[in-house]
Amino acid sequence: MGIWGDLLLTSVFIAVVSLALFWMAAFTLWWQMHAWRTPEVLASTRFSRPDGGEHLSFSLLLPARHEQAVLDHTIQRLLESTHTDFEIIVIVGHDDPETTEVAEKAAARDPRVRVVVDTHEKKNKPKAMNTALPHCRGDVVGVFDAEDQVHPELLAHVDHAFRTTGADVVQGGVQLINFHSSWYSLRNCLEYFFWFRSRLHLHAQKGFIPLGGNTVFVRTDVLREADGWDPDCLAEDCDLGVRLSSVGKKVVVAYDSDMVTKEETPGSLVSLLKQRTRWNQGFLQVYRKKDWKQLPTFGQRLLARYTLMTPFMQAFTGLIIPLNIAIAVFLDVSVSVAFITFLPAVTALVTFVFEVVGLHDFGKQYGLRVRFVHYLKLVVGGPFYQVLLAGAAVRAVWREQRGQNDWELTSHVGAHLSDATATRDLREDVPA
Amino acid sequence: MTSTLPAVTTPKVPAQRQAVPTPRSTGRTEPPRRLRSSRPDLILCGVLLVAILVVQGWNIADYPTLSDDEGTYLAQAWAVQEGRGLAHYTYWYDHPPLGWIQLALLTWIPAAFSPDSMTVGTMRAAMLVISAISSVLVYVIGRRLSLPRWAAGLGMVLFGLSPLSVVLQREIFLDNLAVMWTLLAFALAASPSRHLWHHFGAGIAAATAVLTKETMLFVLPAVLITMWRHSHRDTRKFALTGAITACALIGLSYPLFALLKGELMPGSGHVSLWDGIKYQMTRPGSGFILDAGSGSHGVLQSWLYYDRVLIVGGLAGGLLLLVTWRWSVTARALAGPSFAVVILALVAMRPSGYLPAMYVIQALPFLALVLAGGTASVAHAVLRRWRSEAEHRYLTGGRYALAAVLAIAAGAYVVPRWYEGDRTAVTADANAPYQAASKWLASEVEDPEDTRVLVDDALWLDLVHAGYKPGLGVIWFYKADLDPAVTKTMPHGWKDLDYVVASPTVRRDAVDLPNVKAAIEHSKPVAVFGSGEDRVEIRQIQTAAGGVR
Repeated sequence: MGIWGDLLLTSVFIAVVSLALFWMAAFTLWWQMHAWRTPEVLASTRFSRPDGGEHLSFSLLLPARHEQAVLDHTIQRLLESTHTDFEIIVIVGHDDPETTEVAEKAAARDPRVRVVVDTHEKKNKPKAMNTALPHCRGDVVGVFDAEDQVHPELLAHVDHAFRTTGADVVQGGVQLINFHSSWYSLRNCLEYFFWFRSRLHLHAQKGFIPLGGNTVFVRTDVLREADGWDPDCLAEDCDLGVRLSSVGKKVVVAYDSDMVTKEETPGSLVSLLKQRTRWNQGFLQVYRKKDWKQLPTFGQRLLARYTLMTPFMQAFTGLIIPLNIAIAVFLDVSVSVAFITFLPAVTALVTFVFEVVGLHDFGKQYGLRVRFVHYLKLVVGGPFYQVLLAGAAVRAVWREQRGQNDWELTSHVGAHLSDATATRDLREDVPA
Repeated sequence: MTSTLPAVTTPKVPAQRQAVPTPRSTGRTEPPRRLRSSRPDLILCGVLLVAILVVQGWNIADYPTLSDDEGTYLAQAWAVQEGRGLAHYTYWYDHPPLGWIQLALLTWIPAAFSPDSMTVGTMRAAMLVISAISSVLVYVIGRRLSLPRWAAGLGMVLFGLSPLSVVLQREIFLDNLAVMWTLLAFALAASPSRHLWHHFGAGIAAATAVLTKETMLFVLPAVLITMWRHSHRDTRKFALTGAITACALIGLSYPLFALLKGELMPGSGHVSLWDGIKYQMTRPGSGFILDAGSGSHGVLQSWLYYDRVLIVGGLAGGLLLLVTWRWSVTARALAGPSFAVVILALVAMRPSGYLPAMYVIQALPFLALVLAGGTASVAHAVLRRWRSEAEHRYLTGGRYALAAVLAIAAGAYVVPRWYEGDRTAVTADANAPYQAASKWLASEVEDPEDTRVLVDDALWLDLVHAGYKPGLGVIWFYKADLDPAVTKTMPHGWKDLDYVVASPTVRRDAVDLPNVKAAIEHSKPVAVFGSGEDRVEIRQIQTAAGGVR
């Protein structure tokens, strides 16, 4: 034994870790590429064209908090919708007079806009939406954020999707657009692209889906039956999706590049970190709530487990890959073991390549000019972004352990608005 | 229950985007989406497969003559099985090792049951597995490239039953394994479901082919063309980059392997990948293929000796498809195979390159497909072109008569020649001298364990099983001159040896190998099997005193 035993043990350990990482990354890649598997799958991810009939009424929830800069624009844009039967319920806080003023003005201008005041002492998005839920008159409740740019024909498409598929929930696409803003916004945009363009459809197909935070539509009765959103969960959107799909509600996802809700990336690296921490912590909470255990099949439960744990595995992967290669090169392990240590790097490389192609496709879909420097940023920024994700994952675990589960909101600067007068309101993040 | 939206069936607002991908219309019967559920295809393919296996399998051990290369690869596969590394002599990056690693896997079970069966003659049977897979793949590719059923079957027959194929596919050549992987890459590239992972798999298969036999690099562009033609516009960029990335990454594992072993670049005291590549790139040329008298011309003649139909017909078919590119659907569908034929033909025409006899193996499936496609094209022209609903009965009859005449004429030319060639293959016994020599050395030599024999690679494993010491007891003859690890055990040159088995290969190559030459010169035949050029002599070394060592 002695040194030989140690080396053998090290070799076996490295091989096992490498193979595990390899399969993890391979599955993630497989799912990330879901939409492009065949041309037929790609075609099926789009909205089908509305037939002109409009039978559903919508209640659109618009929670707004210190968002007076962008709120009015968003309301105006929603009012331009081609659908004939909808109401907009703006939810404002009793301690936020500026936003309330903007909302009240809009309500005075158009009878379709109503204002609901949230009087909770500690405020967050799920509480705000639960406050508005009893006021909803429509058949379907839709959720948007105060900074969203919504396509005027979206509601007609969603109406059609509800009627033709018998869905309980329709999730539309959300896309970050300002990829040119910074190196991390580039990667952030691409994450959204792969998630809404591709991965979510897989989840819908498999019957387990963490919903997105907006452009999500739920039948009002289904939502009330489920008691609305979980006010204590940091990822109430994900939680709602998990709860609804776990009890067998039908979720349909549709993505159309000209029908997505356009958003912007967080304005600074720190707010991105905070946002990601909140999501990760939320995922962790959803995992611990165990609603997903009601899923009928083992495969679905496995997918649930894996999806909710992904941020943490990602953090782990980011640390292990370089370590692994260092071991392979510097330690005197056998050639076959050294070979195995390279496997996770291989999947990482393939993922990189698909990201580059994805960026090209993103540019094509949105008519945006992607320059060489952006591809360069994408590749070079990869490892750093990985560090950021790992940091957010570690932070999430840390906060969850210490019982810190307040909201660290993300500020929005209106970078995606072509409107030059959009105030660049660089306010601090607001811990509610 | 959750699900995605049903496929869009009506065109969407931006009209330029296709909602549901439309399959390329070829104006003829579409191949079934799943071949394995099409009964006529299964029956036809199955019947042809049985015929091919019978002809290729019957008498496989006795014909053709055992080749030195077969011995090399099988012995290295044996070394892998025995856990002796990638070769029982120093592995020197002559070829990527994946080929004989596969051979080792393929022969693992029979070798485990009966270790003595690990000899060239016996293990040729394993090549039947490869032949079977490859011929089925030729049929599948034919169908996926929109050939009618009969033409795909014709391609399979041309590939599996041409006397040239029968001879070459029976032999344990890495090229046969590489062809199988290349065909798999083609079949996946032309997958009717256009699945991203099929294209990814095509890249992996293509890389495996190259790592099995590096000459497959030449065919990769043809795989790419096939993939391009068969992928859908909306998913093409993902499919193609996926395939190329997979291929490149798998391919890079070979240099990575060398790097991890510290053998990427040349250095003193070790072999290197660099030196291996340099050796292959600077092998002395065998002259221009059309220059009578050159080595390459000789190789060409040897191919034509076995079968003219596949080579001449295949090249003609390729030419026909290229010329009719503009208006023939078949020509465009077969772009991949035609391109492969063109590239391989051009490479063979290099004025000063080295042309090994097995070079043609990698061209066989493409020649077969292209010839079958050319035939289908001609048949279509004769039977269908410019044919209207109102065509006169006599004219239609004339078309069929012409087709029948052409078919009969082709049959009358091909069948007797192939019958002759394949009859030889299933009846001739070309390896009796080898088998007798092997038997003699196993029974007549008193103390095999302490006996040192120079032998050609094809007999090496026989002697290992007979008890000779692998490597330094029974020695690949050229290692006595070329491998320092062997020569240093022979301080007295030929005097340190006991026997040399002078097979045709040994006699041919001894000219350039001083130790081998000296061993032959200082030995007397103690047993001779066969006669003339093909004889195998067992020669015992005579020391100066006139006795044996």
